[in-house]
Amino acid sequence: MLYRETGQFKISYAADQSVFPIAQDRWFVSLIIVIAIFVIPVLASEYLLQAVMIPLLIFSLAAIGLNLLVGYAGQLSLGTGGFMAVGAYMTYKLTTAFPDINIIIVFLLAGLIAAFVGLIFGIPSLRIKGFYLAVATLASQFFLLWMFNKVAWFYNYNSSGTITAPPREMFGVVITGPMASAETRYLVTLFIVIIFAFIAKNLVRGRLGRSWMAVRDMDIAAEIIGIRPFQTKLIAFAVSSFYCGLAGAMMVFLWLGSAETEAFSINESFNVLFMIIIGGLGSILGSFLGATFIVGLPIFLTNAPQLVGLSMPIDMQKHIEIMMFGSLIIFFLIVEPHGLARLLQILKEKLRLWPFPY
Amino acid sequence: MEIISFLNLVFVNPLVEIFSYPIFFAEVVISGLLTGVMYSLVALGFVLIFKASGVFNFAQGAMVLFAALNLVGFIEQGFPIWLALLLTIIVMIILAFLIERFMLRHLINQEDIILFMATIGLTFLLQGFGETLWGSNVKPLDLGIPNQSFEVAGLLLNEFDLFAAGSGAILVGVLAVFFHYTRIGRALRAVADDHQAAMAVGIPLKTIWIIVWSVAGFVGLVAGIMWGAKSGVQFSLSLIALKALPVLILGGFTSVPGAIVGGLIIGVGEKIAEIYWRPLVGGAIENWFAYVLALAFLLFRPQGLFGERIIERV
Amino acid sequence: MIEAESAPIQGEHKEVLLDIAEVSLAFGGVQALSDVSFDIYKGEIRAIIGPNGAGKSSMLNVINGFYHPQKGTIKYKEEVRKKMSPHKAASQGISRTFQNIALFKGMTTLDNIMTGRILKMRRGLLWQALYWGPARNEEIINREIAEQVIDFLEIEAIRKTPVGKLPYGLQKRVELGRALAAKPDLLLLDEPMAGMNVEEKEDMCRFIIDVNEEFGTTIALIEHDMGVVMDLSDRVVVLNYGRKIADGTPDQVRANQGVIDAYLGVSHSN
Repeated sequence: MLYRETGQFKISYAADQSVFPIAQDRWFVSLIIVIAIFVIPVLASEYLLQAVMIPLLIFSLAAIGLNLLVGYAGQLSLGTGGFMAVGAYMTYKLTTAFPDINIIIVFLLAGLIAAFVGLIFGIPSLRIKGFYLAVATLASQFFLLWMFNKVAWFYNYNSSGTITAPPREMFGVVITGPMASAETRYLVTLFIVIIFAFIAKNLVRGRLGRSWMAVRDMDIAAEIIGIRPFQTKLIAFAVSSFYCGLAGAMMVFLWLGSAETEAFSINESFNVLFMIIIGGLGSILGSFLGATFIVGLPIFLTNAPQLVGLSMPIDMQKHIEIMMFGSLIIFFLIVEPHGLARLLQILKEKLRLWPFPY
Repeated sequence: MEIISFLNLVFVNPLVEIFSYPIFFAEVVISGLLTGVMYSLVALGFVLIFKASGVFNFAQGAMVLFAALNLVGFIEQGFPIWLALLLTIIVMIILAFLIERFMLRHLINQEDIILFMATIGLTFLLQGFGETLWGSNVKPLDLGIPNQSFEVAGLLLNEFDLFAAGSGAILVGVLAVFFHYTRIGRALRAVADDHQAAMAVGIPLKTIWIIVWSVAGFVGLVAGIMWGAKSGVQFSLSLIALKALPVLILGGFTSVPGAIVGGLIIGVGEKIAEIYWRPLVGGAIENWFAYVLALAFLLFRPQGLFGERIIERV
Repeated sequence: MIEAESAPIQGEHKEVLLDIAEVSLAFGGVQALSDVSFDIYKGEIRAIIGPNGAGKSSMLNVINGFYHPQKGTIKYKEEVRKKMSPHKAASQGISRTFQNIALFKGMTTLDNIMTGRILKMRRGLLWQALYWGPARNEEIINREIAEQVIDFLEIEAIRKTPVGKLPYGLQKRVELGRALAAKPDLLLLDEPMAGMNVEEKEDMCRFIIDVNEEFGTTIALIEHDMGVVMDLSDRVVVLNYGRKIADGTPDQVRANQGVIDAYLGVSHSN
């Protein structure tokens, strides 16, 4: 009785095409955003913000980016880590070269560079599809990381080979670097993520999103009704890489503080891919759910043995953790191959009828 | 001036070197071919499973590691080598059975990407399980094959590499015979062509899957022995899967000859690039060079080495 | 070998929309079309028939630029076209449906039909990202056109249903909707009634006639149901083994000995 759209009539196409056509959804999402902005920074501990909330948001953004490419445009990519690295290293180069430019603008510029790089590595999608393309995108992953590792210019020739977030202010508040508080970094991250989540939603419900899905579902038919598949795929690569690059920049500057190429290894690419598969392909909301799952799971697995009073050697525990992670992924894929977003949808349909079974 | 010296590095110096020391070049090519055989072996495991079940089995690398870990583990427990080998093969068959029973069976008719992700999960599972069981330190694997070099007609060759290449070739031959002349092989090819049609004529899909994953496990074991004997059995063994992937896009996911020839091409190309073009890029290119090579090739021939040109129909 | 009967020129002066002259198409050694010539008048319903493998679908693929013939010329809207991409063909007002339904299975009926409007939408990436101002207006205007199509085809109830879940007959209808949404000048229908029951066929016939009469859309269709072909079409061209064997009004074609032989498989000694 609580959740139903009965009585909510749309009198214009505009209303019918809005992001949340059902009022309850609108209220629910607004509530979550309000809690995220006003309640969490006050109540959450430094640890919770730093170890859970900030990475969760940043990975959500990366997951949205990859979901645009894989879930909407249907181009399987394993190069996420590489594009994230582009964002991070370009932010570092730009902000050390031009310290006066607002860091948020630097993030966006770095994202644009990542988009360009993504465009270039998307070119093989002209000729190859599916797993062949996936393997080809690995080339970007390995090549980019190798380049950032090998070419000292990218990390300003420092001896350690790491990039470190310098302190940058906005409106008089330090938002990056070691002096920035977790609350500030959390809020900045949150705002960026909310804005770009809405932009992603706008893109996928408009012409571009429909072109992407058309190419995904049947590229020949898409071509014949007048969509240029190659151009459409390239835009998908560029937009997706923009998101990933932005996430990579935020990862170093708003979360980790410093990083080496190792932080963007192929495992990160797989993790982000897990997020969108488990969250739900072709769902913006699913990207958030998937990121929550994949960020939360290792934290849970690390702490679970202590909770039940089990103790074992550290490396043994690490192995078991990896094992459990793998098994849970397989288990989840078997139980709900369409991801958490589908689960949520089923829940909603149940809720619509509640308290009656039919 | 910069440009001239750059062009020199790219086009002139390497070629000059190649032509002035042809014997050395031949050695480079041969050593590349031998490495290539090892890549082929790993790629073969991928191809077998992809052909028979349409699954892009990312866990092939982890299976190589897992097999090698078990073998070394059994040898450390004091079993003689032949018994350890036999036990490992049994373990790999059990593994194939478990994978079918608990994973594949439940994922029939899911999209390819779901199955692919499941095999990434399997990768983690196998890595974690193998190392929980046998520990994560580097273990030497000594097969008693001398690792010595000798000279033939002025060429310096390594005995172990030749042995590895020889066993690889034999394995490939055996597999080819198995696929072409046995009943199971025929059934396998039928399944590869069309699952449903194969089921309709009464081929037991599940059995076929267990067989093919067992064979892939066995191929993984052979690859694990070769690589393990060369560089010790350790975690990084599972990363050779990443080396086999460019072989796959070069040779095609479904082509056994493609995997073999592709492996050889990548092996040789990588060695040559590493030795002659090293000054240009500053080393450590083995991570990505193979991919770029395969990609460049694909841009000119998208159907891969042995694929047929596809005419798209609507 | 049977002489192709030349197309009769009907009394009135008809405007030629599409003129195909001596088109040949081969895949490797397989000759799909050889020296096929025919024309399509503006505003008519033109049927292309022939036994399986006669080259009918290849002919449609040539018309909308998906295949490129090795030989011959195609004149569309008074303009001889060079090698042309499907995109170009679509933007010149050619749209089509497919023999095996080629809908975008993961999208809703509405979104599928909206894809037919894609060429008419011009707003750039940034406007779309904001979904505001011109981009939003554009969405709404095109939504109205899509809704008109939905209304015309009587598929309001399945507007928000993913097409993958729809029964076959409705999918065919949605596919027609997607083609119509582009407001084409030339509509190519590849077996629009294959696999339908009598009722669905009647519906589909009604839609085809309505499209032709209400919007004046020129239609070229491939169909195996001879009853439908003879009833619907103004003129019929018959292909067999990639060659044209007859061309004319339904009655003329029906009486043509070559056509009867092609369908019944009578062998001819030369």
